[in-house]
Amino acid sequence: MSAEQVLFWVFAVATVVAAGGVILARNPIACAMSLVATFFFLAGIYVLLWAHTIAAVQVLVYAGAIMVLFLFVLMLMSLSDQGPVMTFSAWRIAGVVAVVTVLAALVLVFRRLPAQESLAWSGDAARLGDFGTIKHLGAVMYTQWLFPFEAVSLLLLVAIVGAVVVAKARV
Amino acid sequence: MRIGMIFISISLIVGALFTLMGASYALAGWLESLELFAGAGHLGAILVQMLVMVMVTATLLTLAERKWSALMQDRVGPNRARLPIPGLKDNPLAGLPHIATDVLKMLTKEAFRPKAASKFLFNLGPILAFAPVFALFAIVPAGPTVEVMGKQVMMVAANPDFGLLFLFAIASLAVYGTSLAGWASNNKFGLLGGVRASSQMVSYEVALGLSLVGMMLAFSTVKLAGPTGMTALQAPYLWSFNLLGLDVGIPRWGIFLQPLGFLLFFAAAFAETKRAPFDTPEGESEIVGYFIEYSGMQFGMFMISEFVEVVVLSGVLAAIFFGGYYLPFGNEALMGLPVMKAHPWLLGATLGTVFWLKVILLCYLQLAIRWTFPRFRYDQIQTLGWKILLPLGLANLFISGALVLWDPSLHSLALFGFVVLGVIVFLTLTPSRQVRLAKQAEEVHGGHGHGDDHSLPANTH
Repeated sequence: MSAEQVLFWVFAVATVVAAGGVILARNPIACAMSLVATFFFLAGIYVLLWAHTIAAVQVLVYAGAIMVLFLFVLMLMSLSDQGPVMTFSAWRIAGVVAVVTVLAALVLVFRRLPAQESLAWSGDAARLGDFGTIKHLGAVMYTQWLFPFEAVSLLLLVAIVGAVVVAKARV
Repeated sequence: MRIGMIFISISLIVGALFTLMGASYALAGWLESLELFAGAGHLGAILVQMLVMVMVTATLLTLAERKWSALMQDRVGPNRARLPIPGLKDNPLAGLPHIATDVLKMLTKEAFRPKAASKFLFNLGPILAFAPVFALFAIVPAGPTVEVMGKQVMMVAANPDFGLLFLFAIASLAVYGTSLAGWASNNKFGLLGGVRASSQMVSYEVALGLSLVGMMLAFSTVKLAGPTGMTALQAPYLWSFNLLGLDVGIPRWGIFLQPLGFLLFFAAAFAETKRAPFDTPEGESEIVGYFIEYSGMQFGMFMISEFVEVVVLSGVLAAIFFGGYYLPFGNEALMGLPVMKAHPWLLGATLGTVFWLKVILLCYLQLAIRWTFPRFRYDQIQTLGWKILLPLGLANLFISGALVLWDPSLHSLALFGFVVLGVIVFLTLTPSRQVRLAKQAEEVHGGHGHGDDHSLPANTH
């Protein structure tokens, strides 16, 4: 195994374990911290995919900003360690069936993906050029994907205005 | 006598820094020439910088803070701990033994954990508070890349393509340590401290990122180290002339190009360190803070992480706004010296000493601020972050962007920077509205015949 593969398995197993912690931990704060760990290990996988900048932004935005707000709210709510007792209802069973179906469909699709030679980029730094650098990302984002980028920022603006409107009524 | 002591102390500090940096370069070159494994010398250089330079400076700062606070509050300061050495028995040694006694006390105290605290998260708190702060130094270049024993030696742990994004990403993780510590102790005061810390740090992160965009625009890079990094790009002159073979001029330092950016970044980063005047998360006199239940070395981790943060912040400020390891002028003359060309490690050690001297001066500035200002109220902190720093940062971003676009040689940006510096100095020197009103009131008061009051300062009323 190359060093890259070893790192992949370290990050992949850690991501899955941490993601399992998010749904299995009883303590809500522990769930939130597991999610932070998941984001962190996922950033490691991004680095292995030559997306260094995305990895840094992932840690900066998701682990550093969004999850801090989650944690902030959870701390203020003072939830107990004892979560809700597991119950079975028709909706729950339907949900489990849906999740299993989606998972099976994904596995099927990924197994049928052709093993493209052009995707095997690992170790071929010359062919990558400036892929994944902040320069390349900026160029692509502000030329090719300008419209989606601006549309998303408009969406964020709407969300901010909405939050202010909702909060202002109580202040 | 006193002046002589000061000169001896300064030359001791400079000598120690020069020796350490020279040893660092020599060790890195020697390790590299052994060819143990790829990057052995680099690893050695990193270990010396992070474990010796950063940690020792941070440890000495614990004493420096006590000494300087005593000086500013007209107290004697730490002088109780004495070493049982015959000749030195009655000499406080400027308080130096206090470092050893502090460390011994923290290491030997019981690490107590409250019964109802969440065990894993309680132990995780100090680790998460310390690690990100320490890791921040990884992208700060402490010296130039020079050739030692035929091998290139660089004095920076990593020089990623996304440079400053690493800084923001890792700095934003530091909040988990404090908020987890506050929550996991299962203590109301601790929780209050943790909540205050996280809200404060989330608020100031916005201004922190925005304040540096001006510098990124000016040099069109986000890297700190390397030939295309901010440190190297700050060395050239804006305007220069030749004085007796020595080049003299104004360098393209961030402080001249982006004085407002410097002020905003410094304020925001200072709030992130949670030191006075932004110390509501601790607030010793009201809630003690997020580390209320911690004892022994676990508390020590919180304390030392604060001082490491001071050192790292100084390093980042020096690298972004004060030309990193370069001298303000005379770099070319220094590099042109025959002895420097013959022994590149000497150049590295000299410039490394320059960097660490800048760091120490900036550490002093931070300690002076910490002991000058009273604690802000919680609402004042939020107002400063959202209503003052953020709009100023946006305005700075737009003006700098326009000036860089208009004049890529950065001359007009520097002229604008000097205007801003002048405004800042003027605002600092003019008395505030409260002081002026107090003076007026005093003059009106004095007009009624109490002539003696004129000799009293305004604030006694």
